[in-house]
Amino acid sequence: MFYAQLLVNGLVQGLVIGLAALSITLVFGIARFPNAATGDAMTLGGYSALAAFKATGSMALGGVAAFLATAVVSLLAYLAVFRQLANRSVVSLLVASIGVAFFIRAVLGVTFGHAQQVFMAPLSRPYVLGGVRITPLDLQLAAVAAIALAAVFGLLYFTPIGRQMRAVADNRDLARVSGVRPGRVMVALWLLAGGVAGVGGMMLGVKTIVSPESGWEMLLPAFTAAILGGIGSPGGAVLAGLLLGVAQEASTPFVGFTYKIALAFVIMLAVLLVRPRGLFGRVEGAR
Amino acid sequence: MSAQSVAQPVAADMTERGSMAGAPLLLGVEDVRGGYGEVDILNGVSLFLRKGEIVTVAGTNGAGKSTLAKAVLGLLPRVSGRILFEGADLVGLSTEDRVGRGVGYVPQVANVFAALSVVENLQVVVGVKDQRRRIAELFEAFPLLAERRRARAGSLSGGERQQLAFARALMTSPRLIILDEPTAALSPAKVAEAFELIARLPSLNVSVLVVEQRARQCLAVSQRGYILDGGKVAIEGEAAMLLADERAAELYLGRTEKRHS
Repeated sequence: MFYAQLLVNGLVQGLVIGLAALSITLVFGIARFPNAATGDAMTLGGYSALAAFKATGSMALGGVAAFLATAVVSLLAYLAVFRQLANRSVVSLLVASIGVAFFIRAVLGVTFGHAQQVFMAPLSRPYVLGGVRITPLDLQLAAVAAIALAAVFGLLYFTPIGRQMRAVADNRDLARVSGVRPGRVMVALWLLAGGVAGVGGMMLGVKTIVSPESGWEMLLPAFTAAILGGIGSPGGAVLAGLLLGVAQEASTPFVGFTYKIALAFVIMLAVLLVRPRGLFGRVEGAR
Repeated sequence: MSAQSVAQPVAADMTERGSMAGAPLLLGVEDVRGGYGEVDILNGVSLFLRKGEIVTVAGTNGAGKSTLAKAVLGLLPRVSGRILFEGADLVGLSTEDRVGRGVGYVPQVANVFAALSVVENLQVVVGVKDQRRRIAELFEAFPLLAERRRARAGSLSGGERQQLAFARALMTSPRLIILDEPTAALSPAKVAEAFELIARLPSLNVSVLVVEQRARQCLAVSQRGYILDGGKVAIEGEAAMLLADERAAELYLGRTEKRHS
């Protein structure tokens, strides 16, 4: 029973990692750099959701606020920074994204203070299924995540702009000679990548705390999941996030929760050494 | 080195494939220079293509063939000179705008979206008026693709891939299609098939500029040809004349093909 309980906890944790990894893998696949600002975009999502939750008492509206606020800030970061550096090296863009990360964190620190804040969600009786406790809050969070994921995958696989995004990820020059305008694809990408990171940030905030550093600490597990899932594979990122979440929870009886992050690091190293293209990644050809 | 240049084709050079000497000019490349970095790869290329023609651009590796194709499409970072398409200069326009004006392109490698399905490869093309109908037309022209419409493009065979690459480029009903080494990735058995396909294109109202390593076979389906050397046109003329030309054969076309018919 104990492990079944860890599995449930791990799945909720895994959704948080999965959403963040999805954001990273989308940006990496289409804009082609590792976006280190993803963690702080999550923090922004946490604060936005908290503000909306305090104002309305609705977790769903919190999710909407997290999605919108983070999507807009993410788009602004693209317009102000990443678009200007579009033809630079991956390293320039990575360093720029670290700058964006510190900027977001500083603004959040100044605006909301550095004290930890929490969602004062009303206590409610957990459902007990064969000895496993599942709180209504976890179910709500899972529902918000599921809706966000359904929206993203629906857009990616069933709309023209989603098809264009996948085409640009696959072969940028071929997309251009097919008449695809990269600018429009980039706007869609950054709105989407920001939005899912924001929803992940809200979940993180509800499950733990909201502080200016909380999202940054998710960056390593999120990158691990993105790599494990195969860089550029949206489905792989989410699945790897869930796997990693469960693995982290399942490891706590043995190594203690403080080493959860270390576990992510070990898994990342192992994947890079043994199967660099991850579970679902394609072999990257030199172009 | 005295460049043998036939800038003004004369009626006497007419071949059995028919000269297009009277047809209007579709593409005019005038003194185009440029490259990726500091060094120019194209050193003043000039060529033209008339409506309805198939024109070969041949030359050794590094002569600038593919770079020229990229320059016409706007995929080369640095270009000077003029590239006239239907009378309007393309230089300065974005790649998407050039495609919108009627220029299609099939790159040498990675010429399909491997992660997308066959039908998605066609659906993704922007600026097609009646997309459903155009896809139906192309599936009729390429029945093999219709059969595999749901398959991932990455899982297609070399020949199927080639057909999909052509079909994708034809989605916008371009007036000019530029093919970059269309037979480079094909098994020898499929090469003849590819040239048959190319020869068919003018009947679909598409003129063709082919950059090709297999210059002899390509010239055999072309009206005219250009041989590039060091980023410049070294030899140009009617296809039949280039095939018969001793010096062209010696230097660029490979001289071993005695049995060539």
